[in-house]
Amino acid sequence: MAILQLDKVKKTYGAGHKKVEALKEIDFTAERGDFIAIIGPSGSGKSTFLTIIGGLLTPTSGEVIINNQTMTAMNEKNRSKLRLNEIGFILQASNLVPFLTVADQLRLLDKVKNNNMTKEQLEGLYKDLEIADLRAKYPADLSGGQRQRVAIAKALYSNPSIILADEPTASLDTNLAFEVTDILKRETKSKNTTTIVVTHDMRLINYFDKVYQMEDGVLAEYKEEVLGNE
Amino acid sequence: MFLAWKEMKKNKLRFTLITGVLMLVAFLVFFLSGLATGLQQLNREAVDKWDADAIVLTEESDKSLGLSSMTVQDHEGIDADETAILGQFSAIANNDDEKANISVFGINEDEFLMPEVTDGEKFTKENEVIAGDKLKEDGFAIGDTLSLSGTEAELTIVGFTDNARFHGSPVLYTDLDTFHRVKFGELAEQNSDRINGVVIRTDNVDAIETPEEIEVIGIDTFIENLPGYTEQNLTLNLMIYFLIVISAIIVAIFLYVLTVQKMSMFGVLKAQGISSRYLANSVIAQTFLISFIGVVIGFGLTLLTGAFLPSAVPVSFDMVTMIIYGLIFVVVAIMGAVFSVRTIVKIDPLQAIGG
Ligand SMILES: Nc1ncnc2c1ncn2[C@@H]1O[C@H](COP(=O)(O)OP(=O)(O)O)[C@@H](O)[C@H]1O
Ligand SMILES: [Mg+2]
Repeated sequence: MAILQLDKVKKTYGAGHKKVEALKEIDFTAERGDFIAIIGPSGSGKSTFLTIIGGLLTPTSGEVIINNQTMTAMNEKNRSKLRLNEIGFILQASNLVPFLTVADQLRLLDKVKNNNMTKEQLEGLYKDLEIADLRAKYPADLSGGQRQRVAIAKALYSNPSIILADEPTASLDTNLAFEVTDILKRETKSKNTTTIVVTHDMRLINYFDKVYQMEDGVLAEYKEEVLGNE
Repeated sequence: MFLAWKEMKKNKLRFTLITGVLMLVAFLVFFLSGLATGLQQLNREAVDKWDADAIVLTEESDKSLGLSSMTVQDHEGIDADETAILGQFSAIANNDDEKANISVFGINEDEFLMPEVTDGEKFTKENEVIAGDKLKEDGFAIGDTLSLSGTEAELTIVGFTDNARFHGSPVLYTDLDTFHRVKFGELAEQNSDRINGVVIRTDNVDAIETPEEIEVIGIDTFIENLPGYTEQNLTLNLMIYFLIVISAIIVAIFLYVLTVQKMSMFGVLKAQGISSRYLANSVIAQTFLISFIGVVIGFGLTLLTGAFLPSAVPVSFDMVTMIIYGLIFVVVAIMGAVFSVRTIVKIDPLQAIGG
């Protein structure tokens, strides 16, 4: 059974002549261990797609099923519980809590979630991400790449089954972008989670198992030639 | 609490400043409340000392003791549990070195208005008085001979009693004969049955029966009608309420600015599954901490200031009143956090995610 399944998911913003069909009847599945990229031009619906999977946005019609639970049929309370337990978000690098040390960023999650990593797992994660020496530092004292690795640690810490990353490398230079993508891939494989990354950066697509292209609200498997012909 | 406390620790300067501002406002609130209590006591201390439930005055005096005039016969027409007659007039006392406004109370020695003597003796002979001990601070002593303005009388202080100020002036307690002689001079004979009112202790004020044109006034009503008493209280209380509201506005603005700065951070935390409730509680916890710490330090500072003030400043700190104001202060400050809480609840985590 797929960990994530979207059935005819449609999203329409606004009404009347301002109506925008951001997603047009999308069918999509992902399995455990999948490392997936979504590419596509700005305004094509990538963020809408990701936020619907993340349960922050409800689709106009269609179903989202995560781990055998139909999220679209849930009330808001159960949906945010599901979000809390099954989904990890990785956002822009600057979005760490400025007044918490690296260790405290994770400790904050202890206050609100209860299926977090054990101490040993956390030590392993710190090592994998090479941030063990940074735990007493504040975000302002970290480099962009270090911050993004802390953000990854935050997303992985609560053992989510799905990790969603919206342009996680947008604020990084090329080398760091490669490095961060590589780390994400390693964590996906070693923890057998599912990771979906939205990215502009075509140089990264070789890292992924599957690449999809979003265009005008339609999701299709990406084929090299499509871009090549343009 | 975790988030609230960590933020305060990291941004010490910011939170120390706002706590300092709240401390100063709390200090002002406490100080004004001390002033209000002090001024109240200046007016009512001697009345509280009666430990009475009602006073009987003539209707035409409109609740003013000094303007009420009745006879001992009127007293006999009053039916109540325990009564004590009272004559009163105001004058200036002079012991050759010092002058002071005083209020003379003419009383019967065997009735309950007779004060406990804290220093010296009771009056036993004519022209002897027990004085309010405020006069001690003003340079009067046992054995002093006093002349009173507008009279020929010479009175001798034989003792002092505490808590004896009426309408701002220390009281001289004396027997009725002396009172009549001092107040009426040569006309004392004709006026030997004149008194101002009758003070009453009873369980049931409504059951008191009085002769015609004489009314029963509850002690609280009597105090509220002391000249200037209610106006003074209203003024000071209004200042206190304004200060509390101002502190809430300061808190509201401060927290709101901080919250607006942290909007995107709150959005991210919400997207990560941290509830609005947790984030709102964090802001409320911060408000509680800054206002509580401010109030406690302000409280200490007020007591410290009170200890060093010259006795001429009429401050008197009533712990219960101050604690109530302290609580109101904290509660109102927390209400000031409501705007920030509303802002946090309204933040859409989508905006934090949006590419
Ligand atoms: N909250 C919204 N209200 C109205 N239109 C929106 C909203 N969010 C996105 N859109 C529109 O939906 C389309 C897809 O947006 P988005 O999912 O953000 O694309 P992408 O992330 O690929 O740039 C765009 O045309 C955008 O203008
Ligand atoms: Mg986007």
